[in-house]
Amino acid sequence: MITLDGVSKSYPTAQGGRRIVLDNVSAAFPDGSNVGILGGNGAGKSTLIRLLAGSEMPDRGRIRRSSRVSFPLGYGGTFHGSLSGRENVSFIARIYGANLRETIDYVIEFTELDIYFDMPVNTYSAGMRARLAFGTCLAIDFDIYLIDEVTEIGDDRFRRKCALAFRERMRRSDIILVTHNSRTIRQYCDRGAILADGELRFYEDIAGALDCYRRLSETLQ
Amino acid sequence: MSFDHHSPQLAIDHKRFSQALERDALDVCLDYLRRNQAPEPEAAKLISRLSEKLFRNGRTDDAVECGRLAFALAANDNEVADFCAWLFSNCGCYAEAVAAYERLIEHRPDWVEGYRHASGALAATGAMDRAIAFAVKASNLAPDNFDYAFHAGCLLLDAGKAEEAAPHLARAVAIEPENPRAARALSAAIYSLDRLDEALRLALQAEALAPGDTDITIHATELLLRSERIDDALGLLDAATDREPTNPTLWRLISAAESQSGATEAALAAIERALALVPDNAEYHLHRGHLLYRCGDFVAAAEAINRAAALDPCSQSAKRAQLELLVVGGQLTEATAMGGELLRAFPDDNASAEAVLRVLNHRLDTIDGDYVVVADRSRHLSRPPRTEPSFIDRMRSQTRVLFALIIRETRTRFGESRLGYGWALIEPVLHIALLSAVFSLLMRGAPPIGTHFFVFYYSGLVPYLVFIHTSTSIMHGVTSNGSLLQLPPVKSFDVILARGLLEFATDIVVAVILLVGFAAMGIPAMPDNLWSVATALIATGLLGCGVGFVNAVLQTLFHGWDKLWNNMTRLLYFFSGIFYVPGMMPDWARDSLAWNPLLHAIDWFRAGFFGTYQPHWLDRRYLLVTAILALLAGLSLERGLRRQLSEPA
Repeated sequence: MITLDGVSKSYPTAQGGRRIVLDNVSAAFPDGSNVGILGGNGAGKSTLIRLLAGSEMPDRGRIRRSSRVSFPLGYGGTFHGSLSGRENVSFIARIYGANLRETIDYVIEFTELDIYFDMPVNTYSAGMRARLAFGTCLAIDFDIYLIDEVTEIGDDRFRRKCALAFRERMRRSDIILVTHNSRTIRQYCDRGAILADGELRFYEDIAGALDCYRRLSETLQ
Repeated sequence: MSFDHHSPQLAIDHKRFSQALERDALDVCLDYLRRNQAPEPEAAKLISRLSEKLFRNGRTDDAVECGRLAFALAANDNEVADFCAWLFSNCGCYAEAVAAYERLIEHRPDWVEGYRHASGALAATGAMDRAIAFAVKASNLAPDNFDYAFHAGCLLLDAGKAEEAAPHLARAVAIEPENPRAARALSAAIYSLDRLDEALRLALQAEALAPGDTDITIHATELLLRSERIDDALGLLDAATDREPTNPTLWRLISAAESQSGATEAALAAIERALALVPDNAEYHLHRGHLLYRCGDFVAAAEAINRAAALDPCSQSAKRAQLELLVVGGQLTEATAMGGELLRAFPDDNASAEAVLRVLNHRLDTIDGDYVVVADRSRHLSRPPRTEPSFIDRMRSQTRVLFALIIRETRTRFGESRLGYGWALIEPVLHIALLSAVFSLLMRGAPPIGTHFFVFYYSGLVPYLVFIHTSTSIMHGVTSNGSLLQLPPVKSFDVILARGLLEFATDIVVAVILLVGFAAMGIPAMPDNLWSVATALIATGLLGCGVGFVNAVLQTLFHGWDKLWNNMTRLLYFFSGIFYVPGMMPDWARDSLAWNPLLHAIDWFRAGFFGTYQPHWLDRRYLLVTAILALLAGLSLERGLRRQLSEPA
């Protein structure tokens, strides 16, 4: 469960003003539900995910997490280029106190990197990096997975593999997903929310959220 | 000469009529005939001849009129009937031709050609069953005739009786193996019987016999595509479009081939060329819609599919595609309505029923079912809620993070350098060697303290390096590891502390290795007071960490601080008493230098190392207080500016 308690967050824009992402928002992401958050471009979707992850701090208010929350799924920015895939995965496993051997076995099986797994990450192609990042995140047993837009990686076969692995994880874990694509929301989530104008509005079902989102984007256009 | 127009005749004057006919006075004859209401049957032959002449003069209507008259007069006359059958066939009056042929066959049941002609005429009138019966009869009566066999086979094939068509066509191919049309027809029949390989072989044979025949090419490529020989099919199609670029079917097939091989863009380009040729083909629009859908362009896909549905309102596949699009677009109400319509229109169709079921289940699949429905909560396992972490849990996870960071730092500290950790040892060795070389020449004798230059400079360098390494490396800790802060358990404090600990530990190990090295070289270099040496180093490390913390914050706030700091460390090299003792300085200079906490660190270390060296200006408390103040300043700055520090650059 993640609770937001009077959380405000804004960031400076290139034009010199500040863009408000959250304005005194109190909300709860309850256990056992997959929440999809819709937001237009620049509504602050990625900032919200970083706030929920705890990699960024709110300007005011508190965010409490009673579950183990993942880093954004597929985020590979923490990989060190001169370390091998194995060393990078070990690092993340150690950080989260996951079983080193199991984590590494899972990632090897999942990413199919073969000999590249023991080579420096900066020799990888973008696709291999993405596979490593995705596999590492799935290898660790998080209670809540944070997803900043669903990106599909690899060929059809690998995509299917990803979807299956993800479904397996979702039997035990929840997700919080931010996206601008209403289709993804309906694929993955059972509750919807909309991030707009510094507000985070929750809807009991996806249809309601999507309806509202459509009206919202129409008025914006 | 002319007929008397005013006196009606009761019978045709044969002699005068034939004379007129011989002179090709056709109009006179016709006129005469038209005025004569009831010619006798014997006139039929003459009328036939008139009819033939009329036909040859291109006056088809008049010829048919005369033909009908002749046939009505003497249907039982074989010569007349034969002529009439020929005439009617050639003038497009197939129903009457059929009657004439049937008359003739009645008289001559073994006239095979008659069956064939009758069949042709029947087929033209659309009476397929009877046409087939006559064609089969002709083919069976004259098994060696190519035309009869081919005709019968084609009729049967068109009627969807592939099984019956196959033997006739096989016979035709056997009689004329070089005939491409026969091979193509047999291929079609065999394909209908689900013998794809054989059909493909025949189609390719036909293609080889008539390489320029587009119809055969189309058939052959369809079979190639069904056999998944996409490249071969594309080869044939490319040649065919070079020959005949305006045939839309060819472009449609290219689109199918490209789409089958996964080249959706190329498939789209091909179907658009086909549509440029026939803009109103519903199936083409539907196909284009599916391709656009696959590209993810739902708006354009919807447009194309709606166009297809408008062009062909009865098309079930267009309706189904519309339904899928509504579902994907989230218009569930409309989708449900459309689903009801679909079910009413095609109550027995499984595909439609499934599509409607999908709507009802809110299941979202693409057309290919490529995506897995993930939000299936029915099998969701509940997990026990996590307990609030205790203080020990927190400490454990803090230690875990520090440990992970330290391991990572050991691997990355020296970057790509092959020497790696060797640098940590080489740096002090170079310093000591250089200083010893220079000053042993300068001083020509003993160092200020102790007996060996190496040991003296060692005692100055070790605390200096501990301080410089910790403070500098921590300074870069946050900026060079910024991405790690994206991992929520990692705080900037952890990154800073891990670096400090690693640098400190490294320098201690290096210091011990150097002592062992001295011992190995036979230089007496054991510290006199181990406790004092150790506390001195710890105090130095604390000072380095404190200054490092402050540095880290300053570095995040002002880029370029590191350059300033690097210059300051060089100055400290001279102002900290590394290669001299402050006692050698005038009092005023020594008193100013004593403000430098690093000078105290080095003297503390030396005082522990050399029992005889106990400088009166050494103030251990001063060092400790500055170290603690720096730590406090660094920690509170880090705490207060944590937001800026963890903000992604």
